[in-house]
Amino acid sequence: MRRDTGCNAIDHAISRRAMLAGSAAATAVGVAGKVLPAETKQLATQQKRILQVFLQGGVSQLESWDPKPGTRYGGPFRAIDTSVPGIRISELLPHIAQRMHHLSIVRSINIKTNSHQQGHVFMERGRRAGVFPYIGTVAAKYLAPKTASLPGFMHITTRGLNDNTNAFLPAEFAQLKLPGAAAPENLKHSGKLTADAAKRRNELRRRLSQRFSGKVGQPAFTDSYDSSYTLADKLLAKKGLFEGDPPPKELERYGSHPFGRNCIVARKLLEAGSTCVKVTHHGYDTHAENFNFHLEQLAEFDKTFCMLLDDLHDSGMLESTLVLIMSEFGRTPKINQRYGRDHWGTAWSMALGGCGIKPGAVVGMTNEEGTAVAEREVDGRHLFHTYFRALGLDTTDHHDIPGRAIPIGDPTGEAIGELLA
Amino acid sequence: MTHPRTSPIALFSMAAFLWFASAALAAEQQPVHQRIDSLLAASHPQFASFAASRCSDSEFHRRIHLDLVGRIPSAKETREFLDDDTSTKRETLIDRLLADPRHARRMQYVFDEMLMARMPATNVPDAEWRNYLRQSFLANKPWNQLVLEILSADGADPQLRPAARFYLDRNFDVDLLTRDIGRVFLGVDLECAQCHDHPAIDTYLQQHYYGINAFLSRSYLFTNPKNKQKQLGEKAEGDVKFTSVFTQESSQTNPRMLDLPEIPDPSESAKQYLVKPDKKSRGVPTYSRRLKLGQAMIAADNIDFRRNIVNRLWAIMLGRGLVEPLDVRHEQNPPSHPAVLELLAEEFLQHNYDIRWMLKQLALTEAYQRSSYAAEEHRETAAKNFAVGLLKPQSPEQLAWSIMQATGAADAALATKEAALLKSDPKFGAGRTTHPLWREEALHDALKANVDQFALKFAGQNGQTTSFGATANQALFLMNGPLVDRWLLPGSNNLTDRLKKQTEPTALADELYLSVLCRKPTVAEVAEVTEYFQTVGDRDAGIQEFVWALLSSAEFRFNH
Repeated sequence: MRRDTGCNAIDHAISRRAMLAGSAAATAVGVAGKVLPAETKQLATQQKRILQVFLQGGVSQLESWDPKPGTRYGGPFRAIDTSVPGIRISELLPHIAQRMHHLSIVRSINIKTNSHQQGHVFMERGRRAGVFPYIGTVAAKYLAPKTASLPGFMHITTRGLNDNTNAFLPAEFAQLKLPGAAAPENLKHSGKLTADAAKRRNELRRRLSQRFSGKVGQPAFTDSYDSSYTLADKLLAKKGLFEGDPPPKELERYGSHPFGRNCIVARKLLEAGSTCVKVTHHGYDTHAENFNFHLEQLAEFDKTFCMLLDDLHDSGMLESTLVLIMSEFGRTPKINQRYGRDHWGTAWSMALGGCGIKPGAVVGMTNEEGTAVAEREVDGRHLFHTYFRALGLDTTDHHDIPGRAIPIGDPTGEAIGELLA
Repeated sequence: MTHPRTSPIALFSMAAFLWFASAALAAEQQPVHQRIDSLLAASHPQFASFAASRCSDSEFHRRIHLDLVGRIPSAKETREFLDDDTSTKRETLIDRLLADPRHARRMQYVFDEMLMARMPATNVPDAEWRNYLRQSFLANKPWNQLVLEILSADGADPQLRPAARFYLDRNFDVDLLTRDIGRVFLGVDLECAQCHDHPAIDTYLQQHYYGINAFLSRSYLFTNPKNKQKQLGEKAEGDVKFTSVFTQESSQTNPRMLDLPEIPDPSESAKQYLVKPDKKSRGVPTYSRRLKLGQAMIAADNIDFRRNIVNRLWAIMLGRGLVEPLDVRHEQNPPSHPAVLELLAEEFLQHNYDIRWMLKQLALTEAYQRSSYAAEEHRETAAKNFAVGLLKPQSPEQLAWSIMQATGAADAALATKEAALLKSDPKFGAGRTTHPLWREEALHDALKANVDQFALKFAGQNGQTTSFGATANQALFLMNGPLVDRWLLPGSNNLTDRLKKQTEPTALADELYLSVLCRKPTVAEVAEVTEYFQTVGDRDAGIQEFVWALLSSAEFRFNH
């Protein structure tokens, strides 16, 4: 059942052509790893990945991507020019302004919910309702090479609930949570076990498991269980990533605050082959003192994020890395009595760039006072399609689950064609 | 007077009639577990050719312990069961375990997850809610009564306040409640039908969603100014209207249970209150739509209520729902064995929603008592037809208790509790420690914190499906976490301590396998143990490594 979502036929055609030209290899990854042999090699050498920066609590679009200085709800901050002529963003993002040519902005998101939880899962799942896999899980399932040396979806966060990120997909693609820049829990043995003994007993475990698994023949369960140890081994092999303090020079660039350290780890994980790394920057739920908080929070985010962006660019990884700066919603234009802005899913923004995304573009707009979307309304469905189309995955294809075929992207939405490179 | 002569043919046909009638009657009077097996066997022409054989006593013993009391049996219990020659020992064991206080705890865990999906406690403390559930299962409260209590609780009545957690800890979010009531009590997920008739599923309609919604839409969360407790208030008016986001058509509905008729409001009581809603008091209308919800839910004509619960009980015992996922029953996802589902639903009603009775019938089926090992060429067909024992991942709670049982951590904790009671109550302590309920509660209190740690790490799909997935964090927890590591250290007659003292290789391997995998090792496995110790060199270290490997193996992780 296809519905008119405002995505016109020409956009669609352009994006399809771009996709055929640019990312043919990854297109073949459609369902359950059905990869054309000739393209397999290319895929392995061109692994694509996602850097997802989640500004938790709901960043204000008016203090970031869609400033409205001098209007009724504009707030105290100015808009500044960026490296892309014609694009102006809030003065709270001076470093990003200089790098605007790497990013694009969507200013017309309306998700029709003001709930943290609902907004978050809509933006992650690309579905308004129901339990579907998160962006990172889908990436881990379809973009990660079988030989990847790290779990596919790693989330650096100091808080947050245990989300069901993998839904109906195997748990090996679920997010692996890292408590800030520290190593995952239990990466070090708590007792006196030597490395040799650990290896030996793990070999024994595998042998005992295989004997049982072979007899019962229910691989959906036993393989998943075994793969959890394989993933754990991969992490153990990379535990050096979490050891030691970063060099002073890096801390100076990124900042020695937790978000700075988290972004250094994020870069290391991406470099080491993780497919989706999500970093959560907490503290944007500014029901009071919106302006002071954004001044502080965004200063931290702006500089640190740009160091990470620079490093990805300098190492040549940005071309194959989709960069997302997202939130669960924006904040109300109306300023409340405590100088705060409240939850606002009705007309807000996000930024994205890197792999497969046309840089320096602005999609959609809000009205003069930012109280409604004026042009090109989109929501989590369109964004989800856009991300994966940019990465070369056909989102109209299906997850191949035993007994079911579930569309990867919501069939009632389509990619934002004009964003696709 | 002579009797008219009866022709032989007439006699024969009468005999035949009587035979048919008695056969039909016999089928009627056959125990339900046999009728289930007959239906399963009849559902596939080659059923007998691919069905796995009856499971061994040790398979059954481990399986029934995990399912009914939520943990593996001890080596001692397994030995006694294997040595028992009584032909009815399986049924005797089923009865004993169903009456065990640990069964109520197991049911508490299962239904807590089913009803609350491990969401945080905000208004009703976890402990009160769980105690309410456990007491209900200790008393074998019928399912319809339990649900009536939960759906009728308003949070104001102190006695049923724990039952109000279903409403209160969902913050009385009517949309969330509508969805969860559909899923948990009716086995249908109406979420998409909130905004439009389901685009792909003809049987999920917007009117179904709003029919349930209408029971609750007049109610609201009220903060009692005296004790700051959240309670439910209700207004005497307000109707539910809805518009399809696709067709823009608007409709209206009174409360209704899926396709059952709408429940009209009594006209004379409209807009009248027993207690008028204001800032100080929660509204209580003369006619409460919300109180109708529980009654409509458990009414005999609401067959979906029974189909849902018997499907869930079936999944608990047999490893997969007749409808799977458990909350997605609709025309395009019909039950795999509809006749079985209907039989269970009908018999559950006949037996007054008695959960223990149902679990016993399921445990007595051949289907339940089949081996998990099927011939390779038949595996797929057998699995589809419940003709082989399906793997059931241990729940976080089962896993925690099983590991504590296997390593001896549970026995050690109970011994400490017993000693403390004997000391504090020298006169009656000894008597009290033999009481099963005391033992269950003492053990639970001593080790609850460990169970919580497992729940944090291993909780997954929250009870709506029997699918399974394992994560790296879980593997790391078992590999490197301090809990398991501590339980592997020899001490106070725990497993590794007992093994350490055992010098005879076969006896050692026996104790090891019986304690962890609840079965005797094969000859090859005995040799493997001995050989492993030789490779390691240090025997004590080898013992700990071997126990760890068995605990972490797939054979331990799953109920099979």
